[in-house]
Amino acid sequence: MEAFEDLKSQWDNQSHPKAPEDGSKQIVEKMNAIRKKQRITNFVLGSTIVVLAAFFIYISAYKFQTVMMGLLLMIGMLVIRIGLEIHSIRTLKKMNIAQDSKSFKNQMIHYYTNRKKVHFVFTPIIILLYCIGFAILLPSFKVSMSSGFYSDILISAVVSLILLSIFIFKQIRKELSVLKLLKN
Amino acid sequence: MENHQSHFETIYASNYSKVIRVCLGYVNGNEDLAKELTQEVFIKVWENLASFREDASIATWIYRITVNTCMLHFRKKKKENSGEITKQIEQTEEVSHASKEGQLEKMYACIDKLPQQQKAIILLELEGLPQKEIAKVVGLSHEAVRVRIHRIKNNLTKCVQHGSV
Repeated sequence: MEAFEDLKSQWDNQSHPKAPEDGSKQIVEKMNAIRKKQRITNFVLGSTIVVLAAFFIYISAYKFQTVMMGLLLMIGMLVIRIGLEIHSIRTLKKMNIAQDSKSFKNQMIHYYTNRKKVHFVFTPIIILLYCIGFAILLPSFKVSMSSGFYSDILISAVVSLILLSIFIFKQIRKELSVLKLLKN
Repeated sequence: MENHQSHFETIYASNYSKVIRVCLGYVNGNEDLAKELTQEVFIKVWENLASFREDASIATWIYRITVNTCMLHFRKKKKENSGEITKQIEQTEEVSHASKEGQLEKMYACIDKLPQQQKAIILLELEGLPQKEIAKVVGLSHEAVRVRIHRIKNNLTKCVQHGSV
């Protein structure tokens, strides 16, 4: 009969993995790289909003009520979506990873349950309103653009929507599986 | 900043082995995954070092980060790896039933079958952390941990012997 003590001694006798010589430096470098990446992401998101706002002013969209409504819906939904993601990332970062695992697990379950609400309530509404915004713009596009360019816009919009939906679907599936595993 | 970095380097060097051994237990003995996880743990240690209060034990604090990081580690590869390990165990059994390496792999495979909390408890027990400290890491009472350890030890021993928890 093999007792637990034998298992413990086998565990103790396994080789002790040593810390890589420059391991701590690698971590500091990785941290700096992550911060740099975050700054780039913030810059890209900020620039997108600025470009959209500039485009809005450039084409004098505020003079045409339909165009303005369509563009505002699209830009607004984009901003709301980005805002929700930033809020989620901040909530996750604020979580105290050094607390006991029971409390941490409960916090994570709470976090992913809230994410579920975002995915199943906010995301469909955001996508729907974004599409409505785009549909509102279509007649203006048709009048002011060549039929070829109009078709290009239409096709690329549909393709983008499909790709975006696949991406969001995969994200939702991943987060739901995390929630399921956490609840186990 | 330099002081912070040198403090971190000391913590890293003296706790790396402990962390990677716990991580190995979480990923069925897969060294590459364990190294990745260990790196993730120390990134969090670096990020949270300023908030560490000296009144708590640094080892317990690091184990908390380790267990929480490993708990969130869900990968697609896990199933494939489990399959690989199981196959390895079967092969090892054919060659030498009592091989120490095979026994260790069996242990990893058996630990992998345990629920998250039990996994944390037994890995910390194997690492020799006092039960009082294990209780602080997992957020249970000392008494609850004591009872659970007894049960998990029996289950783990049975699993290594017979292949099921």
